[in-house]
Amino acid sequence: MQMPEPNQAIISQRDALAQGLRQIVGKDWVISDDAQRRPYQCDGITAYMAMPLLVVLPGCAAEVQAVLRFCNERGVKIVPRGSGTSLSGGALPLEDGVLLVTSRLCNVLEVDAHNRVARVQPGVPNIKITEAVSHLGLCYMPDPSSQLISTIGGNVAENAGGVHCLKYGVTANHILGIQAVLMTGEMVELGGAYLGAAEGELDLMGVLTGSEGLLAVVTEIAVRLEPVPEVARVISMSFPSVEEACACVGAIIGVGVIPAGLEFMDRKVLDAVSVLIKEKFDDRTAALLLCELDGTAVEVDALVGVVSDVARAQGAIELKVSTTEEERQRIWSSRKLAFSAIGKLCPDYYCTDGTIPRNKLPEVLNKMADMSKKYGLDYANCFHAGDGNLHPIIMYDAAKPGDLEKAEEFGADVLIACVDAGGVLSGEHGIGVEKRDLMTHQFTEIDLQQQQMVKCAFDPKDLLNPGKMFPTLCRCAEFGRMHVHNGNLRFADIPRF
Amino acid sequence: MTDTQTAASMRPATTQDVADILMDAAHNRTPLVVRGNGTRAGLGNPVAATQVLELGGLDQIDFYDPDDLVIRAGVGVTLESVEQILAQKGQYLPFEPPRYAGLYGTDGARCTLGGAVSTALSGPRRILTGAVRDFVLGVEGVNGQGDVFKAGGRTMKNVTGYDISKLVTGANGTLAALTSVTIKVLPAPRAEVTLVLPAATLAEDVALFGQMRALPLGIGGLARRVNAAGACELLVRVEGTVPGVAGNQQVLAGLLAPRGGMVVLEQEASHALWAGVRELECLNARPDELVWRVNLPATTMPAFVEQARSAGCINRFFVDWAGGVVFSTMRGVQPEVDTLRYRKMAEQAGARATILRAPQDVLVRFGAFPPVSAGVATLGARTRAAFDPAGILNPGRMTVQA
Repeated sequence: MQMPEPNQAIISQRDALAQGLRQIVGKDWVISDDAQRRPYQCDGITAYMAMPLLVVLPGCAAEVQAVLRFCNERGVKIVPRGSGTSLSGGALPLEDGVLLVTSRLCNVLEVDAHNRVARVQPGVPNIKITEAVSHLGLCYMPDPSSQLISTIGGNVAENAGGVHCLKYGVTANHILGIQAVLMTGEMVELGGAYLGAAEGELDLMGVLTGSEGLLAVVTEIAVRLEPVPEVARVISMSFPSVEEACACVGAIIGVGVIPAGLEFMDRKVLDAVSVLIKEKFDDRTAALLLCELDGTAVEVDALVGVVSDVARAQGAIELKVSTTEEERQRIWSSRKLAFSAIGKLCPDYYCTDGTIPRNKLPEVLNKMADMSKKYGLDYANCFHAGDGNLHPIIMYDAAKPGDLEKAEEFGADVLIACVDAGGVLSGEHGIGVEKRDLMTHQFTEIDLQQQQMVKCAFDPKDLLNPGKMFPTLCRCAEFGRMHVHNGNLRFADIPRF
Repeated sequence: MTDTQTAASMRPATTQDVADILMDAAHNRTPLVVRGNGTRAGLGNPVAATQVLELGGLDQIDFYDPDDLVIRAGVGVTLESVEQILAQKGQYLPFEPPRYAGLYGTDGARCTLGGAVSTALSGPRRILTGAVRDFVLGVEGVNGQGDVFKAGGRTMKNVTGYDISKLVTGANGTLAALTSVTIKVLPAPRAEVTLVLPAATLAEDVALFGQMRALPLGIGGLARRVNAAGACELLVRVEGTVPGVAGNQQVLAGLLAPRGGMVVLEQEASHALWAGVRELECLNARPDELVWRVNLPATTMPAFVEQARSAGCINRFFVDWAGGVVFSTMRGVQPEVDTLRYRKMAEQAGARATILRAPQDVLVRFGAFPPVSAGVATLGARTRAAFDPAGILNPGRMTVQA
């Protein structure tokens, strides 16, 4: 993984820049010494690190505007960051860029119970929104696994998913309005704090959501709230083969049931978690599905019956259905502990998230087994089966020379297999730096150029989070002039990093 | 010249033909009216162009995978045929797309899927299932330079690159001539009932809507209208599984009992009722009237409606989306004066007032869509230029020259 060459002229102005930024946000909120900058060197992907030029923590939207204006005028790059839980390197710092951290913008500004909307600042951790409205019987539905830590601003930047998005949708489906600051410091208000607030305007909010901090810095978000379902029950279904478990996923959806969550764990994951939860899984089990059903009590009881029948018909060996909330939590604990359990089996692991049409699950899972042999690295599977969102966990040892590179190549092969099966590189983690160089496998040059033209419309100087998402930097000036037809490589000579 | 009185019309049948047409048009800087079958040409501002690019000929179904809840089709396939295909597998388009054929005096059977995506019109079920934008997984289209591009995909989750699919949804053909769309579909609810009860004051009804929406009861429609007999009533649609609906209906019946006079409509009767609501039939818009849609927070709706009615800006109206949208007619006596006043009222209420139907001169002068801030307008213009630098795709459809 290569990043654009840092601009030494900018780096040499570090002290002057720090001084200027301190005048905007106050002296305590610009971090310039090495020890304090170090925790910001990486995000959720610890394999990639860079020391940010400076870390700035603005305390209000006006300060965000001033910081961006200041940096824009001086040609200084900005990398926005929430809590730094990105799993694609989206918040990886740049050595010649200011890391703009939203931690101080952490207030729930308003809860409008009747219209079921909350206005929040970007640094609010996801879970805090639900906590702020739970007394009203409401919640914020998208629940990425990182929800205790990851911020709503980061969720918007990555268009985060989660276990429940099969039924309830991803972040983009729950955002009604966004206040954002462009690199020039100009603020735009898109949509608003009610359903339909963006009717009749270009859906700039839609393209901003999931733009990985490349288009604007979000300073306020209006989110949709939902009533908490009356009951949720989970069914644990074990299958003698991976194929049967995969077939059951399609069969459940085929009969017209949309579970609140539908998760897959393979035998390796089960063995790892059984140590932690002190529970044994049936020896014949090769794969386990967890299917959560929610709604009113009568409705859920009926759905439990339907899904159980489908699972038996698809060859399930054993079904366990939660009858109390404690049981539900216990059954889910195996899934929740899966990643930390795998973490105990190997020094390091690497997890990626290609997404495929559900009926291609067996095909791609089989390919993974072949890849494991090819690279000599072990792997396990634990993923959002209902969405076809794979999370292969590739185990390696960073201390072993060449192991990380092999793991990366293994991961890349999986993603390529996903695209070849009609899927996409990323379901919920984002492209960032991790999958950046694979974008050309999913998109043509023209597709990518169209996307980069959008980037130019928002950030013509390419100062916001450059080096992420696209395998080449934007050349906004050239895009405006050049026009070559019929898929000819437009910038065959462009440097790639 | 306007798009309903155009001279030359091109109706390509393949993406490549669309690309060729647009490449030529870009070269010659020829503005084009871009549309499906033109059934909703009355929505949006008139386009200053003499040539029409009609995409209704791109009407193939590329694939339909019911177990994967996804269909990909040419933009010209009609909504009617898509809905029929889905119904055979017990599935549906969750955004309940309105046709508005009655409103525009066109043939609803010719309304296209591409038109539904481009206009982003969502029906009464939006409060439960979401809007058009929530179900567009991927698109293929041709930009204003004649380049064929694709965006998004066919999987349920996808964060690979910018969400261009959302951007072109509701862009009314000003960013690209879409050629195919990939749509997420859902199993249609097995059971549906509508509870009909007498209305009270707007404020009381909105409060009741709020109470119902706070409960997880699968309410996929909350409207207030004047029925054929002239009585004002509330419509509550409950959907889901058979036992689920029965249970939820009971809970609601308890909650609504104090109102008295409840009538229950099952399955087909409920379907037919909501098809009428979706098509704004209860508005009884006369040909000389303007038709408006105002989006606003439900809680501010009663005061807004009262004010607009006493000012003569609302003639007849009904309310959908649990009070979050007001559809209304305006007398065509002094449309310029009333349009200006109504927009002003909406702005002060933090609402967005869209003209769904009006005489051309009103649309040209005031714009069908509510104005946006200068900053958003500039960003929108730059985004349009990123797709269509020569400005040949439906120029002026969404924006009014200052």
